[in-house]
Amino acid sequence: MAAVTLYHWEPNANSGKPMLALMEKGVSFTSHYIDMLNFDQHKPEYLAINPQGTIPAMTHGTRILVESTAIMEYVNAAFDGPNLMPGNPQDHWRIRWWMKFMDQWLGPSFSMFGWKFFVGPNALKAHGQDKIEAQIAQIPLPERQLAWRKAVFGLFSEAEMSESGRRIGLGIQMLEAELAKREWLASDCYSLADVNGFNLAYAMPLSQPHLANDDLTPNIMRWLRAIYRRPATRECWKLGRTPMASRVEILEQDYIPPRNESEGIASGVR
Amino acid sequence: MGMILYHGEPNGPSLAVLAALAESGVKAECRTIDLLAGERHTLPGITEPLARDMGVEGEGPVLVVDGEAMTESVFIAQFLDETGAGTLQPKDAYAHWQMLMWCRRMTERCAPAAAFLGCGSSATPRLAAMDQAAFGCLLETIASEDLRSRWVAVAASDFADGPIEDSVAKLRDAAALVDAQLADGRNWLMGDLTIADFETYGWLAGAGALEPGLWDGKEHAAGWLARTKAHPAVQAALARATVADPENQWAPGPEINRWG
Repeated sequence: MAAVTLYHWEPNANSGKPMLALMEKGVSFTSHYIDMLNFDQHKPEYLAINPQGTIPAMTHGTRILVESTAIMEYVNAAFDGPNLMPGNPQDHWRIRWWMKFMDQWLGPSFSMFGWKFFVGPNALKAHGQDKIEAQIAQIPLPERQLAWRKAVFGLFSEAEMSESGRRIGLGIQMLEAELAKREWLASDCYSLADVNGFNLAYAMPLSQPHLANDDLTPNIMRWLRAIYRRPATRECWKLGRTPMASRVEILEQDYIPPRNESEGIASGVR
Repeated sequence: MGMILYHGEPNGPSLAVLAALAESGVKAECRTIDLLAGERHTLPGITEPLARDMGVEGEGPVLVVDGEAMTESVFIAQFLDETGAGTLQPKDAYAHWQMLMWCRRMTERCAPAAAFLGCGSSATPRLAAMDQAAFGCLLETIASEDLRSRWVAVAASDFADGPIEDSVAKLRDAAALVDAQLADGRNWLMGDLTIADFETYGWLAGAGALEPGLWDGKEHAAGWLARTKAHPAVQAALARATVADPENQWAPGPEINRWG
C-alpha cells in the first residue's frame, strides 16, 4: 500500500480532522508536525507540498491532498476500516451539510475568538513581535499576510467580534438541539460530521463556560465525552505538543457547571 | 418517498440542482417559487427547517424529503446522484476529491461574487421598488440574521467599491480557471460529465452579462459553455424558466468570506 504522510499542527480544528479520521480508519501514517506559530507552513520544504501554505496536507503515494474536510472524505473512501459516511444518501447529505456549516459559518467565528484570546497572545509570548512580523513579511500572498497579521495581533473590529460571538451562541444552541434528536450529530452512527464537530467543539466547556456545560447543554456534553472515550481520539490527542492539546482533558470531569464568560477568557484557553 | 424540489429561475444553484435532477432520473415534483418574494422562507409541509433557514448558500433551492428541508446545491446534487443514476461523481477517491475541491472553489469564491454582482443588477431594482411595510414583513420570515442583512443590503443598493472590485476579480479568476482546465481538449471539467459542470455553469452562465468581455479569448471555456447549455439535462432545467433570460435572475447568495 502506498505510504501516507500527514502534515499537521496540533490535534485541533482543521489539523485534527484528518488526524482523527485516519486514526478511526486504522490507517497507519507518518505524522509530520508543522509548527504553525513558527510559520513552518510558509517554508520552502512545505510549500513544495502545498503551495497555498495551508495546513493540513496529506500525501498518499504520489497524490497530494489539501483541505481538511475534503481530505477526510478521501480517507473514508480510499481506505478499508469503519465507514465514516454511514447510512443512506439523505444521511450522507446531512453529514456534508453539517460539515459545511461548521467549516464556513461556525468555525471561522470560533477561530476568531481563539486567535484573539488564546493563540495570538501565546504566539506573541513564545516568539516575540519582531520575529513574527519578519515571518509574516515572508508570506508570498499579500492577502495571506493580511489575514495572518489580523489573526496574530488580534486586529478584529468590534463588529467582527460581536458577529462571531452571536454565531458561537447560536451555533451552540443548534448543536444542542440537533444532538437532542439523535445520538450522533448527523446520522444514527458515528460519522465524519462527529469527527469534524469534535475538533470544533471539544474545548467549548473551557472556552465558552457560560454557554456549554452540563446544565445548559447536556446533549453536547454527552456527545463530547462519548467521542473523547474512543481509543482513536485518545491516540490522536497524544500527537499534540503544546498545552492546547491538554484542554481535551476537561472531558474527564463527570460534571461541568456553568461559569462566567470572563472565566473562559481569563483561563486563556479560548 | 415523495420529494418536492422548490427552485427559483434556472440560474445559479437552482439550475445546478434542476440539471442534476434530470440527469439522475430521480422522480421529484418541481415547484417554481419566486425567490425575491421570499417564498422560500414560508414553504409548507416542512418539519425540519434547519438547513433551509441556516444554509450557507443563501437563496438556493430546497429539496423536501420526508419533511426535511435539504439545501446546498452541491450536496443536493450528490444526494440525487446517489439516489438515482449515479453517473455524476467519479468513482475513484482521488478524482472524487478533485471534483469536490473544484465545487468548493466555485461555491466559496465564485458564487458569493456572482450573487453579489448579480443582485446589484437584477434584484436591487425589484426590492427597492417594494412597499416598505411589505418588505419588512418579508424580512421577518427570514430566520438567519446574516442572510437577512444581505437582503437589506441588496434592497438598499449597499454595494461598496471594495467588494465590487473583489467580486469582479473572482469572476475573472473563475473564468480563467475554467478555460485552463479545458485547455487539454477535454469536453467536461473533470473529464467525464460531473456535478462540477452543472454547478460551475449555474454560477457562470450569467457572468458574461455582469462583466463584459469576461469570456474574450477564452475559446475552451466558450465551447464548454455552449456544450453545457446544449446538454439535455441543462435544457430540461432551462425549460422550467418562466422568463426569457433566466441567466440574469439573481437572489441573495452566500456571504463573502469574513476572513478576506
